[in-house]
Amino acid sequence: MNRTRVIFIVIIVAALVLVGVAALLRTINSPSSTSLLPEQRGPIQVRVLTALPVYDWVSQAAKQFNAEKHTLEGNTIQVEVISMDGLSALGKFDRDEFGVLPADADLQNLTDAEKASLARFPTAWIPDSRYLPELANVAYKERLGRDVFLTDGEYRARPIALSLFAWGLYQSRADALTAQVGDIDWQAIHDAAINPGGWPALGGQPDWGFFKLVVPNPRKNVGGLAAMVAAAGEYYDKTNIGTAEVTDPAFQRWLGELMGSTTDLGGGSAYTAEDFALFGYSAGDGGQLLEADLLKNMEGIQTRWGEALEIFYPKYVTWFDFPFTIWMGPETSAAEKNAALEFQRFLLSPEVQAQAVGSGLRPVNASVSVDQPNSPFTRWASQGVAPIVSRTDAMRSPDRDVLLALLRWFDLNVGR
Amino acid sequence: MSSKPKQSRAEQQAARQRSQRIGAIVISAMTLISFLCICGVVLSLFLRDSRPISQTPSAQENGRTASLTLASTPDKAELMRTLVDRFNAQQLRTTDRQPMQVQLVELTPDVMIEEALAGPTFQAMSPDSSIWLDQLDRRWSEAQQVEEGAIAPSLVGESVRFAISPVVIAAWEDVARSLGWPDQPTGWQEIQQRAAADPNFRWSHPGANVASGLLATLAEFYAGAGKTRGLTEQDATAQSTLDYVSAVERTVKFYGEGEAAIMQRIRQEGRAFLDAFVVQEHLVVNHNRQNSGDRLVALYPSEGTLWADHPLALLEAGNVTDNQRQTWRALRDFMQSAEAQRIVLESGFRPADLSVSLADSPIAAANGVDASQPQTTLQVPGPAVVDVVQNVWQFTKRKANIFLVVDTSGSMEGEKLAATQAALREFMAQIKGNEERVGLVEFGSTVNNIAPLDALANNRSQIERDIDRLQAYGNTALLDGVRTAYNRLQKLGDAERINAIVVMTDGRENNSLTTLSELQREIQRGNSQGTPVVIFAIAFGEDADYDVLRAIAESSGGQVRQGDLNTIRNLYRLLSSYF
Repeated sequence: MNRTRVIFIVIIVAALVLVGVAALLRTINSPSSTSLLPEQRGPIQVRVLTALPVYDWVSQAAKQFNAEKHTLEGNTIQVEVISMDGLSALGKFDRDEFGVLPADADLQNLTDAEKASLARFPTAWIPDSRYLPELANVAYKERLGRDVFLTDGEYRARPIALSLFAWGLYQSRADALTAQVGDIDWQAIHDAAINPGGWPALGGQPDWGFFKLVVPNPRKNVGGLAAMVAAAGEYYDKTNIGTAEVTDPAFQRWLGELMGSTTDLGGGSAYTAEDFALFGYSAGDGGQLLEADLLKNMEGIQTRWGEALEIFYPKYVTWFDFPFTIWMGPETSAAEKNAALEFQRFLLSPEVQAQAVGSGLRPVNASVSVDQPNSPFTRWASQGVAPIVSRTDAMRSPDRDVLLALLRWFDLNVGR
Repeated sequence: MSSKPKQSRAEQQAARQRSQRIGAIVISAMTLISFLCICGVVLSLFLRDSRPISQTPSAQENGRTASLTLASTPDKAELMRTLVDRFNAQQLRTTDRQPMQVQLVELTPDVMIEEALAGPTFQAMSPDSSIWLDQLDRRWSEAQQVEEGAIAPSLVGESVRFAISPVVIAAWEDVARSLGWPDQPTGWQEIQQRAAADPNFRWSHPGANVASGLLATLAEFYAGAGKTRGLTEQDATAQSTLDYVSAVERTVKFYGEGEAAIMQRIRQEGRAFLDAFVVQEHLVVNHNRQNSGDRLVALYPSEGTLWADHPLALLEAGNVTDNQRQTWRALRDFMQSAEAQRIVLESGFRPADLSVSLADSPIAAANGVDASQPQTTLQVPGPAVVDVVQNVWQFTKRKANIFLVVDTSGSMEGEKLAATQAALREFMAQIKGNEERVGLVEFGSTVNNIAPLDALANNRSQIERDIDRLQAYGNTALLDGVRTAYNRLQKLGDAERINAIVVMTDGRENNSLTTLSELQREIQRGNSQGTPVVIFAIAFGEDADYDVLRAIAESSGGQVRQGDLNTIRNLYRLLSSYF
């Protein structure tokens, strides 16, 4: 081997060593970036708008799904979960804030601006209840002449978990109030709320102040609207509430007295059960909230305030079914729709459904039960949590006019 | 004939050797070039990824930036700096390898709202209370002209909490006992009654532009309206309510620029400064941990209090890049992580993570606070009523006598004088009522012109004309200018009002008859034996003598501020927090 060849080989080896060392240094210098790196082979992006009560569970599931590197036709699926209250999302669809293409759009010749706007378009939506995508469909039928969320077929909306509204009261407050008024229902709560003597007149301590009701702000949390509809249900003793009922002056006066006992008329946050836990008695003595939210915070309430909540189920129950709803317009590709379907199947798997139970949600997969040894339903059974709710009267979903009438009333009478 | 082939062979051999040498050189050169190319590529890749975070301008330009600007309130400045430093130290990168970084800017909640509405320079915000997010959304929604009853748009996007702290009345332990603590319920009423009955009782609350000041003011409105909940616009604007609030506000000794300013004065002056003041609980905790002297006690008002819940919110103003969203999500997760929550608790806040127990934490009786409190909150009215309370308060708070002392020496000529005039015009425009008394002292080589102190109802247009006519020339008799205004306020002796001097200058004192020490002595004597006068100094440019200005301001309990655009724009807001 002549000298030239030796030099040549030495140089090549040196270059390779240099490349190897540089690559090693590069890895060492970015230790924390690995978890955030995407797949390099063009992953299929799935963006899921997710209602607040299931956000923690769904985002945990998405992390697991992404880590497991699920693929579709050889491409990795990457799920991004975006927290958004159902009503806020409906408002964005209503106002077309996501940028739907016009019915006559030329898909082959989109402008750069249109392409950029579609990059953030949601692939799927998990609202609180199935009536929200139905309301969105009404708006899009007017605008585009077709449904954008399907109710049948492979891409139909499928519930991924269930939860219902239940009363949660701090144990000390529940003991005093039930001794005074008996069963907890909207009328009993109303009477407690308007009692001018406050807690001393209700059998409680003077430093508890007045009775304080916890109701989500309907502008930020669709649970607030559900609570008002449920209150109307008990007021009229019926499950189907229409515009005439919610605009009746006598009912509105009664509702106004009830809502006047909340602590933050300005609205507070969207996370009412979290507020209830975080701020303790000062945020409220009790209220009708989503069972999953109450269960998720029970342990924290016990830790922070030294007593748990007592749970009561109302006469007329309101269920949220969190439907996984895939956008059917041309704004998302067929691959993205199918990838969303893959994630939906993942959420419905027994393992992930069992995780939902851990978050206080009731599973829709019949093979998973709520009364597992470590489930919050078992843990808090002594506080009134029931694995099976014996109440059979469910409130019917309100229509758009009822929702808007209640929101208008809230704005004019409470939120101002 | 025979020598020719021989020659030819030798030449051929030589030519072959030459060509071999050239070939070797060419190969070596090509190898060397390839090697250098490889090295260049490798080096550029390496340098690109190990480049310091601040050196990525191209990302900013092409909309891929992952740098997130977060506006946060000054009351939690130290905590936020610690948390953001920890976050940035992780050197996280986005999926397209842009470095994630969070930059902090400190703004009071009211300024945050104004800037967010005007097109924010920040993408995320953390005011001291969710009340401000409600106000921001309401004003944003109004600006969008949404149909009544329709689902309103929201500027505030995802919002999380990481630290909370209840608003309390902080009092020295013996003062708290004299108010009935710990045996009797103590609250706003006891403070208001004590302040009304005892002229020596010194209490304070911040302005209504921060959560604790808003709460204290709201409590006065509730008491004035004779209600404990359901305060309406009508209640708040009733004359009897306003009279009551005015009377209570006259007992307030100091407003200060937020809680941080109050705590700084407490550190400096101790109990000589105030008997009681309204702040967040974490400030009481930290004061007691850091000071071995007299202990502060947190009183949780029996009528109810308010929580400073420090929301961390992303703004959906249309200027957020995908990478900034990734930074937001990473920051959000970090703030709720066990590491961050430990820091939150250690800083005297209550962590948002409910699994963190408050037992054996700084939230303990030893630090003057009670983890089981508060038991009840004061009902926060809707945003519209809060708005009224904030605005009405501007007219019911203590009135002031303000002397504007303006440097018109030669060095102010040009942009500085124009900026000063703009600041003065803005200041005058922001004084809404005509009951405030304002005067003007102009100084150059000597005190040139004095517009006497009078109610703005009488002299507003005169002062405005004087401002328009300001001309720069001569030396700088700064001390004489201040002394003139100070003496006039002392001579007036109006203790019912807050008395203030605003000095605007760019230069060094060089022509006064008075010396600095004489003026300081005069101020200290006058403020302790006569009428307290607070002096604020606004310094323009780098030549301003900060030492002299600081000495004058601090001897009166005031402050020195740099005369940049932001200070000028917020001058009245800054000063109004003291009135």
